[in-house]
Amino acid sequence: MNLAVSLPRGLELKNPIIAASGTFGFGPEYASLVDMSMLGGISVKGLSPDPWPGNPPPRVWETPMGLLNSIGLQNHGVEVFCQQDLPFLRDIGTRIIANIIGHTVDEYRQVAARLSREPGIDALEVNISCPNIKEGGMSFGQDPDQAAQVMAAVRLETDLPVMVKISPNTTYPVEIAEAVENSGADMISAINTLVGMAIDVKHRRPALGGITGGLSGPALKPIALRIVYEVAQAVKIPIVGMGGISSAVDVVEFLMAGASAVMVGTVTFQYPRRMQEIVAELPEIIKELGFDRLQDVVGSALPGKSNAAHVMEEECQLPRPNGRVL
Amino acid sequence: MAPIIKRKVPAPDHVELWVHSPALAGATPGQFAHVVTQGMLRRPISFSRLDVDTGNAAILFQVVGTGTRWLANQEVGTVLDILGPLGRGFPVPDAHRPWCLVGGGVGIPPLLAAASQWTGAAQTRPAAILGARSDSLVLLEEEFRQLGHEVWVTTDDGSRGTRGTVIGPLARWLAKNPQGQVYACGPTAMLSAVVAISGQRGDVWLALEQRMGCGVGACLACVVFGNGPEGPGYRRVCTDGPVFSREELIFP
Repeated sequence: MNLAVSLPRGLELKNPIIAASGTFGFGPEYASLVDMSMLGGISVKGLSPDPWPGNPPPRVWETPMGLLNSIGLQNHGVEVFCQQDLPFLRDIGTRIIANIIGHTVDEYRQVAARLSREPGIDALEVNISCPNIKEGGMSFGQDPDQAAQVMAAVRLETDLPVMVKISPNTTYPVEIAEAVENSGADMISAINTLVGMAIDVKHRRPALGGITGGLSGPALKPIALRIVYEVAQAVKIPIVGMGGISSAVDVVEFLMAGASAVMVGTVTFQYPRRMQEIVAELPEIIKELGFDRLQDVVGSALPGKSNAAHVMEEECQLPRPNGRVL
Repeated sequence: MAPIIKRKVPAPDHVELWVHSPALAGATPGQFAHVVTQGMLRRPISFSRLDVDTGNAAILFQVVGTGTRWLANQEVGTVLDILGPLGRGFPVPDAHRPWCLVGGGVGIPPLLAAASQWTGAAQTRPAAILGARSDSLVLLEEEFRQLGHEVWVTTDDGSRGTRGTVIGPLARWLAKNPQGQVYACGPTAMLSAVVAISGQRGDVWLALEQRMGCGVGACLACVVFGNGPEGPGYRRVCTDGPVFSREELIFP
């Protein structure tokens, strides 16, 4: 089965599995463990105009079926990325998505402009939803007007396909998605981590150096699915879904909820080759579920399209063998 | 994939597991195994024994949470999912100059792996300074003695060896061996004290522990503050370390 996915502005993925930003470094780190050419794409760790130091350790803490992190978007800046990491990434045979971050609208604009001058970048992912920085970041993702401003500024700088990564840390994620769609986003990626915390009881203090952190992993999956399902009904642009995906069946859930592609993150820490395994398993699972093509799975659980709805319609309209119409 | 071939409990809440894995057995002392347990993350555990000839390696760890408790309960025959060897291990000491190993608690095991590989070439008698909270928690003392090391034991409560920390014996050793090379692994407070007492001398190497994510340098979770190529900043324990030189680290 052909797993290829066609996304806006000519972004073609060989399959819908993308390594999620922040979990796959800047590219070379997993090279010896993962066959990157098997992946649909890689979203690199968030890039800012200048290097960001990140948050004090400890930066990770396990929770039941989840992981809290407070990395704080440590990165060596877009310039070092372009010179040091991008040459490697150009040759690995998968789509490169550059995740961009900033404290201000202008910083997002600067990074987008810089990356748009480089060959080898296939798309941008605008991160307006990281819970681990004090200013900018997530606050852009909690206000539709600010989110739209960021997207509009990025749009002026680039013809690359642009997805905006939205936050679960807001009451109405759909409003954010609609706002960025209206200001030129080509896709929505959903969702970023959910802000949370843990207490280190032995030391009587918050477990993370950054006090609060972002929750990822399977614990997040039901929330992510709900948001993808809601956003899919509100916007016309494609969605890249993520949040706790650990298996091929998880991927199918996100596709059925309306995602055209997915990102896989936290599970990679424990099982670096899980993304490859998912790519290998996906065709059979899709086929077993009664689909001939990947794109038919997308949105198949949405209202009006879902199997349950079809069955109900058929039952209501078709006469039963005994002649009675239900 | 590494099957457990032997299991031992050297101290309360401490377990040593031998696995058969030629790849792991070829590790450099100070490198670590990244072990699947339960939960979301692997557990980074250093090697206590490395035997290239048999293809066997051992990890020795303390039970501190659900992941290590699960691992501690695994029996001979269980196949562990281990990534590794990972990280930067200890540099081999200059055999013509004296060297000493300073271990605190569960920091002792990687020093045994080092001692087993280096002792044969040593031109002077190596020293092992082993510290623990109390008598029952002094790990691997007999192994260091069998290697012919001069062994110093300290405990916090004085229930074994000298009462106090490893810093007392280390100060005496450094005074006698101004050209000595120091290899230390243990709690951060101990490492900080080792750095303080070794002054400006070079050849002080420290193996660090930190809460870790990927283990391969991608997630930037396991950082410590230090001096990197671009000046002061966070350095990754998993790939820049876990072994750092004294000059590479900045202790608070």
